[in-house]
Amino acid sequence: MNIREIRSDRAGDSYFEISHDSGLTVYVYPKEGYRSIYAIIGTNYGSINTCFSLDGGEKITVPDGIAHYLEHKLFECEEGDAFAKYAKTGASANAYTSFEKTCYLFSCTDRFEESLEILLDFVQEPYFTPQTVAKEQGIIGQEIKMYDDSPEWRVMFNMLENMYHSHPVRIDIAGTVESIAEITAEKLYECYNTFYNLNNMALCVAGNITVEQVLGVLDRKLKPCEKHEIRNYFEDEPYEIVKPYIEQDFPVMMPMFNLGFKERAEGVLDEKGLAQTEILLSMLASPTSKLYRELMDLNLINSSFAYELFEGPGYCSVLFSGESRAPKQAAEMIKDYITRVKTDGLDREEFEIARRAVYGDVISSLNNVSSIANSVLAYHFSNNEMFRHIDAIAEASFEDVEKRLSGMLDVNNCTLSVVKSPDSEV
Amino acid sequence: MSLINRQKIADGVYFNSVKDSRFKTMRITANLIVPLSAQTASANTLLLGVLSRSCRQYPDFTALSKKLSSLYGAELTVNSGKTGDRHVLSISAAGIDDRYAFGGESVARELSQLLCGVIFEPNISGGAFLSEEVEQERRQLFDLIDSEFNEKRIYASNQLIKYMCGNEVFGTPRYGTVESINEVTPESLYKTWQELLRTANVEIMYVGDSSPEKAIEVFTETFSSISRSPAEITNEIVRSAEREQSIVEEMELAQSTVVMGFRGGIAVPDAQTNAARLMCAVLGGTAQSKLFCNVREKQSLCYYCASRYDTQKGIMLVYSGVEGKNIEKAKAAILKEIEDMKKGEISDFEVESTKLALINAFRSSNDTVSGIESWYTSQLFNGEFKSIDEMSDEMSRVTKAEIIAAAQKLSLDTVYILKNKEEVK
Repeated sequence: MNIREIRSDRAGDSYFEISHDSGLTVYVYPKEGYRSIYAIIGTNYGSINTCFSLDGGEKITVPDGIAHYLEHKLFECEEGDAFAKYAKTGASANAYTSFEKTCYLFSCTDRFEESLEILLDFVQEPYFTPQTVAKEQGIIGQEIKMYDDSPEWRVMFNMLENMYHSHPVRIDIAGTVESIAEITAEKLYECYNTFYNLNNMALCVAGNITVEQVLGVLDRKLKPCEKHEIRNYFEDEPYEIVKPYIEQDFPVMMPMFNLGFKERAEGVLDEKGLAQTEILLSMLASPTSKLYRELMDLNLINSSFAYELFEGPGYCSVLFSGESRAPKQAAEMIKDYITRVKTDGLDREEFEIARRAVYGDVISSLNNVSSIANSVLAYHFSNNEMFRHIDAIAEASFEDVEKRLSGMLDVNNCTLSVVKSPDSEV
Repeated sequence: MSLINRQKIADGVYFNSVKDSRFKTMRITANLIVPLSAQTASANTLLLGVLSRSCRQYPDFTALSKKLSSLYGAELTVNSGKTGDRHVLSISAAGIDDRYAFGGESVARELSQLLCGVIFEPNISGGAFLSEEVEQERRQLFDLIDSEFNEKRIYASNQLIKYMCGNEVFGTPRYGTVESINEVTPESLYKTWQELLRTANVEIMYVGDSSPEKAIEVFTETFSSISRSPAEITNEIVRSAEREQSIVEEMELAQSTVVMGFRGGIAVPDAQTNAARLMCAVLGGTAQSKLFCNVREKQSLCYYCASRYDTQKGIMLVYSGVEGKNIEKAKAAILKEIEDMKKGEISDFEVESTKLALINAFRSSNDTVSGIESWYTSQLFNGEFKSIDEMSDEMSRVTKAEIIAAAQKLSLDTVYILKNKEEVK
């Protein structure tokens, strides 16, 4: 077992990375003076991993939404659900599935060891029967419908469907009512046995905690795993988008839009690339930017306007989103502005302001045990490290950011998605 | 537990501060509190937006944003909310602690000054706010009202309160109405501003490591130059339902939303308030609650089914998202859980585990800046501040008999159903 301390003078914090003998990677981030503890375990497996092979065996394709279904079902064990066990310790527990990972978490202020044991037990002891699998269809069916009624969710997935030809990021994380009907106990076990191997997982604990406390539980509870080779398959995804525009009628009074720029997905960005991109996007579209001001002055956006770098295995894009009574005009203006900036170059004062703003955001996030633990886990799965990211922001150069702009945000490769009321024109 | 220090700095103005060195950020909020009223809700909300856009020192939106960004992405945010029959207008400034600034500058001092600047030295000329600023905020307020319609769970609970409290002050929407927003002029807004500074009850909350002395000094000085006459605020509590009404609205949706509004008969400052909160949490406040275990897990009727108790108004809401054909089944299942509680069908395990969960949530809130701020802000109208440990002790002393007694006071007032159209036969 190897324990390494990772320090940052800039952030004034430090945490530990442990390669546990069981195969699990563990992070412990003590926060002095805190009373709460937040623990999260994740597997490098999300909604996009629907076609895979194990140890060079045959290619297996599973129904859409199965990672999320598995998340729901893992909460259940032979004696009842994990929530009932947590009820005895007072911990508040939850779980989520994203495109590229599945996570189980709890937060507590007392009886940490017991809660961690509960967590490690249920992620290591799957229990599915045809009856318990069938029961979940009703609940998840209603969850899918809840998202069907969310204009924010729909406007994003409509955009992704028009951006990606074949990458599974275009499919709803929970799948569809039809696809989840194909899920069986056998298929759940197949996915579980492939992806819930400790070598494919990581645990992060932050707050009122020491390395010894965590290791005490791990040594007792973890069953060593043999390392396997997991291969994920994605169909070839062309550079070009599918279609430049899509709209959907919805019972809304305020139309919403997503403008997505498809980027080349050449592996996920490293700390420097990430820092440069964040500074660049802040310069282009934060409330301080010229673009934001122009859009506001013409009444084309409101304070819901946001931007995001959206990337993962095999996909990368930049999204601009918000509410607008004239989304097409807003999109044109964003594209014109990007074209203009690419010709005229960036502004040094704006760079300096953005560098500080991005830096302040990351420093602020270190207040909170849940954001620390979630970030450390996300950095782990993208092979990055949080403090190197903070340094990269502080040390970013204007020239590097300018260079990054030249290779991205292709105004001829973006797609606009709009959700509007049936009786309005946009 | 981080303790709060409260001091009076002017007539009806209090400065509450929590000094805490654990955090990398600080936060200061000015809460301006006035009686909720249909006549002033729109103007007050619009004013809040205009104040946070610019001030004399940073005379337009871009100048102010640049200042905030260069203070390491500091934030200036506003909120217009209701706490009982009170309209609470909040302006907050938050940013990183001085220790993390590249050049050692004092972010805390600058942010305190900035907050005072936007409240007391707005961008005005000739007894009026600038008309383009007012128009921009008016437009955004219309957007905000329309966007509340977009999110159906928010819309459904707003509609429930509108119908349930239609004859009460509390039925007034926090943003007012489109008509009253349209009536605001740059001149009238100037009067609204002056009136607010004169009559609002002001509660300033500060959480951070740096000393709040500078902020206290600036606020004290400024308020001393204003002739103050703080408004008296009352809060009406309707103890039991006088009718049972059901409202159904249809829309092109995939799922139906059911919101049920109950009169709880218990509200602050009643001694049984903790029992009412605990009762509501046993019913639908946690993942071990009756609604979660029975209506969601056992009967598979919905993905979410939860309850929330408003201790200021003595109102309990139950929310659920269900398939159109299951509306009646879900309603019956929810009512059955409540009837069971009234009959005393609550296990010791349910009581103890809910207490543990609530106390865990209380204690965790002490580990974030915003958690500490809202812990105390939520008690502003309770007559005194209780620490997390005091509140936890009180909660753990609530008995099962008191929970049952609280459940027995529940009476159903209004059911609001947002029904998906395809299912309507």
